Amino acid sequence: MTGTRARSTVIAMGALLVALYVVLYAPIFYVIYTSFAADIVWPFPPSFSLSSYDDLLESSLYGDALRNSLILGVGSALLSTVLATGGAIGVLRYRARWRGLALLLFLAPLFVADLLIGISTLAFNARVLDLPGNLYSAIAANAIPGTSFAFLIILSQLVRYDWAMDDAAMVFGAGPLRCFLEITLPTIWPCLLGAFLISFILAFNNLEISFYNLGAIPTLPSVAWGSLRFGLGPELFALAAIVNFIVFAIFAVMYLLMRCRIVRFGYRG
Amino acid sequence: MFAPRGRTGLAHRPHFRFACLAGPGAAFIVVALLLPLLSIVVFSFWRTESYELYADWNLGNYRDLLGEPAYRTFFLRSLAMAAAVSLVCLVVAWPVAYVIARHGGRYRLLFVLLLAAPFFTGVILRVTALQGLLGPIGLVNMALGIFGMEPVGVLMYTPFAAGLGLVYLFIPFMVTAIYLSLVNFNFELLEVAKINGARPWRAFVEITWPLNWIGTAIGLVLVFIPCLASAVTQRFLGGPQATSFGMSLAQQFGETGTWALGSAMGVFLFLASLVVILVVRRTIDLKRSGFTGALGA
Repeated sequence: MTGTRARSTVIAMGALLVALYVVLYAPIFYVIYTSFAADIVWPFPPSFSLSSYDDLLESSLYGDALRNSLILGVGSALLSTVLATGGAIGVLRYRARWRGLALLLFLAPLFVADLLIGISTLAFNARVLDLPGNLYSAIAANAIPGTSFAFLIILSQLVRYDWAMDDAAMVFGAGPLRCFLEITLPTIWPCLLGAFLISFILAFNNLEISFYNLGAIPTLPSVAWGSLRFGLGPELFALAAIVNFIVFAIFAVMYLLMRCRIVRFGYRG
Repeated sequence: MFAPRGRTGLAHRPHFRFACLAGPGAAFIVVALLLPLLSIVVFSFWRTESYELYADWNLGNYRDLLGEPAYRTFFLRSLAMAAAVSLVCLVVAWPVAYVIARHGGRYRLLFVLLLAAPFFTGVILRVTALQGLLGPIGLVNMALGIFGMEPVGVLMYTPFAAGLGLVYLFIPFMVTAIYLSLVNFNFELLEVAKINGARPWRAFVEITWPLNWIGTAIGLVLVFIPCLASAVTQRFLGGPQATSFGMSLAQQFGETGTWALGSAMGVFLFLASLVVILVVRRTIDLKRSGFTGALGA
C-alpha cells in the first residue's frame, strides 16, 4: 500500500518537473519559432522565411553585441570563480578568526537586488571615480553577484570534501599550490565548472547591472533594450535562436558523455 | 580535518593562508559592492538640480519618499508581489528539487543546468515571448478562440500577469537553492524514520524540511529580493495597475535624472531587504540545520 503511494508521489513530482521544464522552455521555443517566421509581430498562422537570418548576417551591430556579451560573460565568470574558489576553500578549511565575516561578505551580494547593484555602481563610477561606462566596470559589477553564486555552489559541493587527502600530500612535502593542482582540483573540478557556467550565464545576458555600467557599448540585452522603441528587431530572435541551438548542442554532448559514463561530473554511485 | 599547525610554532600560518584564500574575494566585495552602496547613502542626503548632484546636506529626499502616497503604494505593491511570488515559487520548487536530487541519478547536473539554460535568452526576449504566448493575440488566446471560447484577459497587462512573469523568471533560483541543500542531505535518515514507524509526511515535516531549511531560506531570499526591486517585468506585463517601486527607482536614474531621490529610494529598498533577511535569519537554527561543516565554531 505505502509502496504504490510512494510511487505515485514520485510520479506526481516527476510530472511537476516536466511541467516546469515545459513552462520554462515555451518562451524559448516561441523565440526560435518566431525567428523563422516571415513577420515576427504576427507569427501566426505560420509562414516560414529565413529573412531574420539574412538580416542578422548583414548587420555588424549584432556581431559586436554578441562579442561584447561573450567577453563580459567569460571575464566576469573567471573573476567570480577564482575569487569564490579561494573564499570557499578558506572558509571551509581554516578556523580563522575572520571566517564569519568572510562568509557574510561572500554571501552579501545575494541580498542586494541587481537593480540596486546597477544604480549604486553607476553612481560610484560616474560621480566618485569619474569613469564613463566601460566594459571593465561591467565585468566587475557582474562579478559581484557572480562571486556569491559561485561561492554558494562551490561551498555546497565542498562541504563533504575530505581535507585529509590534502593534509597527507602536505605531509609528504607538496606545497599548497601543487597540492591544490594535483589533489584538490581533480576532485572538485565539476563544481568549479558548474560555478563558472552559472556565473557566465548570469553575466552574459544580464540587463539591470550591465545597462547602468556599459554606457554606449552594445551587448545582447542592451541592444534588445535599445531596439524596443521601434519593436524588437527580427535579428535578435535569430541570434537568440542560434545561441540556444549551441546551448542545446552542448547539453546533448554532455548527455551522451554522461550516458556512456565517459565523464561523471562528480557523480559517484 | 583542519590544517596541521607548523611545527616551527608559526601558529599564525592558518590565518595567513586563510587571508590569502578568502582575502581577495572579500576585498573585491568591499570595494565593488559596499563602497558604491555607501556612495548612494551619501548621495541620498544631497540634492539634484537639472541632472547635477549638489552636496548640500538635507533630508528632503526622505521627506518626499515617505510623504508622497504614490511611493507608498508602489512599495506596498512590490512587497505584496514579492511575497506572493516567493510563496508560489516555494510550493512549486520543493517537489521539483526533491525529485531531481533524489531520483535524478547521474543526470542530476544536467537537470539543474537545464533550469539555468533559459537565462541564455535575455530577459527582454523572454518577456516579449511571454507576451506573444499569453497576450490578447497570443497563442493561448488564439487556441481558446479556435474552440470558440472567450479570450482570457487576465493573462496579460494585469498584476497577475506580472506575477506569473516573475515566477517564470525566478523559479530556477529557488529550485537550485533547494537542490544544493538536498544533495548534501542524507536520505538514509528517512529510512531510519520509516523503520521507527514514521509516515512519509511526518518524516518530511520533522526531518527533511528542518534539515534543509537553510537552503530553502536562501532560495526564498534569492526570489524575494529581486522581486521586491523588479522593474522590467511589471513594465512589460503588468499594465497600468502594476507600477512597481523598482520602476519608479529606475526612472529617477533614467528619464527624470533625480539621482538624489533615486539614491534615497535605493537606500530604502536596501533597508527593506535587510529587514526581510534579518527576519529569515531569525528562523535559522544552526543546531537543527545539519550544516555545521561550514558554519560551526
